[in-house]
Amino acid sequence: MSRFNLEILLGIILVTLSTVVVVVYGLNEEGRMERESEAQHGKAIEVGAGLYESNCSGCHGLKGEGILGLCPPLNDTHFFTDRLKEVGWSGTLEDYIVSTVASGRTTSTRPDQFAGQGNPAMPAWSDQYGGPLRPDQIQNIATFVMNWEATAKEGVVIEALPTPTPSAEDLADPVARGRQVYLDKGCGGCHTIEGLSAGTVGPNQSNIGSMAETRIPGMPAEDYIRESILDPSAYIVEGYQDNIMPKNYDELIEAAQLDDLVAFLLAQQ
Amino acid sequence: MLRTLRTIDIQDLRQKAAAAIDHRVRIITAGLGIDELRAVLRGDPPTEKPNPRFKVHTASFLFHIRPRYYQRGSTILTHTFRLGFFTTFFFGVELITGIILMIYYVPTPEGAYASMLKIMSEVPFGNLMRDLHRLGAEATVIFTFLHMLRTYFTGSYKGERTFTWLTGVILLGITLFLSFFGYLLPWDQLAYWAVTIGTSMAESAPLFGNEVNLLLRGAPDIGAGGLLRAYLLHIILLPLLALLVLSIHYYKVAREHGISLPARMEEGNVSPEVKKTAKQRWDYLPDLFSHEVYLVVLGLFLLLAVTIFFYGGAPLENIANPQQTPLDTKSPWYFWWLQGLLKLGDKTIMGIIIPTLIVILLLAVPYIDRNPHRSFVKRPIAVGLGVLLLLVLILLSYMGLPQYGIETPAATRIIQDMSPEEGHGPLNQVSYDQLQPGFYIVNETPTENLCPEMDFGCPELEEFFSLYSFRVNEAIESGDLQNGEAVMVIENWQEDLKKNTMRITWDDSETGEKKSYERHIYIHRNTSGE
Repeated sequence: MSRFNLEILLGIILVTLSTVVVVVYGLNEEGRMERESEAQHGKAIEVGAGLYESNCSGCHGLKGEGILGLCPPLNDTHFFTDRLKEVGWSGTLEDYIVSTVASGRTTSTRPDQFAGQGNPAMPAWSDQYGGPLRPDQIQNIATFVMNWEATAKEGVVIEALPTPTPSAEDLADPVARGRQVYLDKGCGGCHTIEGLSAGTVGPNQSNIGSMAETRIPGMPAEDYIRESILDPSAYIVEGYQDNIMPKNYDELIEAAQLDDLVAFLLAQQ
Repeated sequence: MLRTLRTIDIQDLRQKAAAAIDHRVRIITAGLGIDELRAVLRGDPPTEKPNPRFKVHTASFLFHIRPRYYQRGSTILTHTFRLGFFTTFFFGVELITGIILMIYYVPTPEGAYASMLKIMSEVPFGNLMRDLHRLGAEATVIFTFLHMLRTYFTGSYKGERTFTWLTGVILLGITLFLSFFGYLLPWDQLAYWAVTIGTSMAESAPLFGNEVNLLLRGAPDIGAGGLLRAYLLHIILLPLLALLVLSIHYYKVAREHGISLPARMEEGNVSPEVKKTAKQRWDYLPDLFSHEVYLVVLGLFLLLAVTIFFYGGAPLENIANPQQTPLDTKSPWYFWWLQGLLKLGDKTIMGIIIPTLIVILLLAVPYIDRNPHRSFVKRPIAVGLGVLLLLVLILLSYMGLPQYGIETPAATRIIQDMSPEEGHGPLNQVSYDQLQPGFYIVNETPTENLCPEMDFGCPELEEFFSLYSFRVNEAIESGDLQNGEAVMVIENWQEDLKKNTMRITWDDSETGEKKSYERHIYIHRNTSGE
C-alpha cells in the first residue's frame, strides 16, 4: 500500500474514532454538567461558611444560633417559613438574605426581640454601600445560610430585653460614653475587645491602649488611634488587610463622640 | 418540433453537458478538471500535460500561499518532526475553541468568573472547549519551543533563512504573551496573582516602567480595566499580530527557501545518489496536501483523546480576591524560569534587563553565528552553547518552583500541604462519609482503627491522619516545632457540610513564646473525595 493510500485509510479510521469519542462524551455531558453544578453549589457553601465565620458569626452565632436580644438566629424554622411574610418580601428567601446582608438594617424590624448592635442595627456589608464584601461573597454567604433549612431548629423562644438606661454617672465619664459609641457604631462587628466584642476582621483591641504607642515610632497613642479611625489605611497592622475598614468615619462620628471613643480605646490596657 | 427533437444526438448532448460541468469545475478549482480532481484525490499521476496542478498555485489564493513542492529530503519525519506544522495546528485549535468560548465569556470582574462556572456547568461541551483551549495553549507553547530547538540544532537558520528565524522568535514572543494575557481571563486566584506578579515586573522596568504597568493594568492594581485590556490583547491585537507574522514566516518557507534539507544530505559525505533523491520533488498536490489533512486528523484525534481521557481538566481556583494573597503563588510552568531568575536578584535586572538581553540574543543568533556549516560536528560552539542554555533554562525553571527558596513556617507549610487553600490536597481525597466527627490529637489518638463504629472503618481518614502525624513529628524532630502539638477537630456543621479545624501549637525558637496556627476547612459532600 502506498503511503498516500495508507494515510487515507488511517485518516478515515481516526475520523471515525474521533467522532465516536465526541459522541460518547456528548452522551455523558448531561450528567457531567449536573455533577459540576452540584460541586459548584457545594463549593459556594464551603466558601460561604468561611465568610460567615469571619464576618457574621460574631453576632449571629457560630452556628447561626443568634444572640438573645441582639441578633436573630438564622437556623430556626421561623426564619425559613414565616420570615418573608413577616417582612412582606415578595422575592425568594435567598434574595432576601442577599439584600439584607448587602444593605444591612438601619433599624431593627423587631426592636423588642432583637435590638441589633445599635445604629445601624446591622451594618451594610456590600462594598457598594461601604462594607467589605463583594457581591459574589454575599451570594456565597446566602447560599450557606440557605443550607440551614434542612437542620433548622424549632421555635427559639425570645423574651424582650430590659432596655438599659445609662446612669448619670456613666454619662459623665468619657470612657463610658466612648464605650457606648463603640457599641453604637458597630466597631465590635470587626474588632475584639475581651468581654465586649468578638469580631475577627480587624485587629484585636483588647490592649490597644498600650499597643497604640508602639505602632508608629514617635506618634503618641492618642494620635495613632485617632488617625486609625479617620484614615484606616495610614497604618495596617501586620496580618490584616487594607481597604476593609470604611473610610468615612469622619462623617459618621461627631467630633465629641470621637474624643470619647478615643478615650475609651486608650483605656483598654 | 418533432423534427428538432429528432436531430438532437444524445451522445452529443452528454458530451456538451460534461464539457459545461468540467468548465465550471475548472473555474472553482482554479484549473483542475473533473478527471484531474479525481486523480488528485486518488493519488494518481496528473491526467494532462503540462501538469495542471501547478497552475492551481498561481490561480488560487489559498493554494498560492502553499508550496508547490518540498524536497523529499526535507520531509523526512525525524528531520522536522512536523513541529512547525503542529504549532500552526494548535494555533488553529486555539482560534476555533477561543471563538466558541468568547460566546459565553464576559470580560468584567463580576462576570468573568461567573461565566467560567457557567461554561463548566451549563454549556454542553463547554468544559471540553475550555479544556481543549487550555491544553491547546500549552501545546502551542511546547511546540513553538520545540520547533525553535529543532531549527537551532539542525542549523536551519542560516543564509537565506536568517529573517525567517527572526520572525520565528517574534512568534515565540507573541505566543508567550497570548498565553500570559489569556491566563488572567478566568479571573480566579491563580490568574489574578500570576498576572499581578507578571505585570509588576513591567513596573520595575527603567524609565517608563510605571507607565507600562499603568497601561497594562488600567489602574495601579488589576481590576475591571486590566481585565478588559488583557481580554482585548488576547482576542484581537495579539492574534492579528500572530496571523501577520505567521504569514510572513510561513510564506518564506513555503515559497522562498523551503524546509531545510538534513545537514548530512546537504553538506555531508554521502553518495550523489542520496543527494539526488533528497532533492527530488514531493508535490503539494496530491502528496503534501493529503499528508497535511492526515496530520490534522491525527492531531485532532490525539488532542481529543488526551483531553478527554488523560487531562484532569483546566484548573479553576477560587474567584480572584485582591485582598488575599494566596500562600503559594505560581506562574504557568513556561514562566517558571523567569520566576527562578527573579529569586536570584533585583527585579529590574533579573525581570527586565536579562530577559530583554535573552530576546536580543535570540533575535541575533543567525547574525552572530557566521559559521556556514550546518552539521552538528562542524559547529561545536553553537551546539555546546545551545545545550548549556537549555540546561540553564531547566535549572532556572526548577528554581522557579514555589517550593524552592521560599521559607514558609513549618506549621503553615504542613497545614497548607494537607489542605491547600486552592486546589486539592490529601484532605480532599478523604471521602465525605469517612470524615468522622471527633477530636484527633497527634501522638495521642491512635492512627489505626479510628472509626470502630463505621461498617467498613475509615481507612482514608486513617491514612490522612497518619500523614498529618508524620509531617508534624518530622517537623518536631528537625526542631522546627519545639514542643509541637497538633490537633484536628472534625465537626458536623450543616447538612452535607463538615468543618475540620487543624491547629498546630509550638514554642517560638527565639522568644520561647507559645505560638499557634490554625485553619478552618469546610468540606461539602459534593466537593470531597474526588
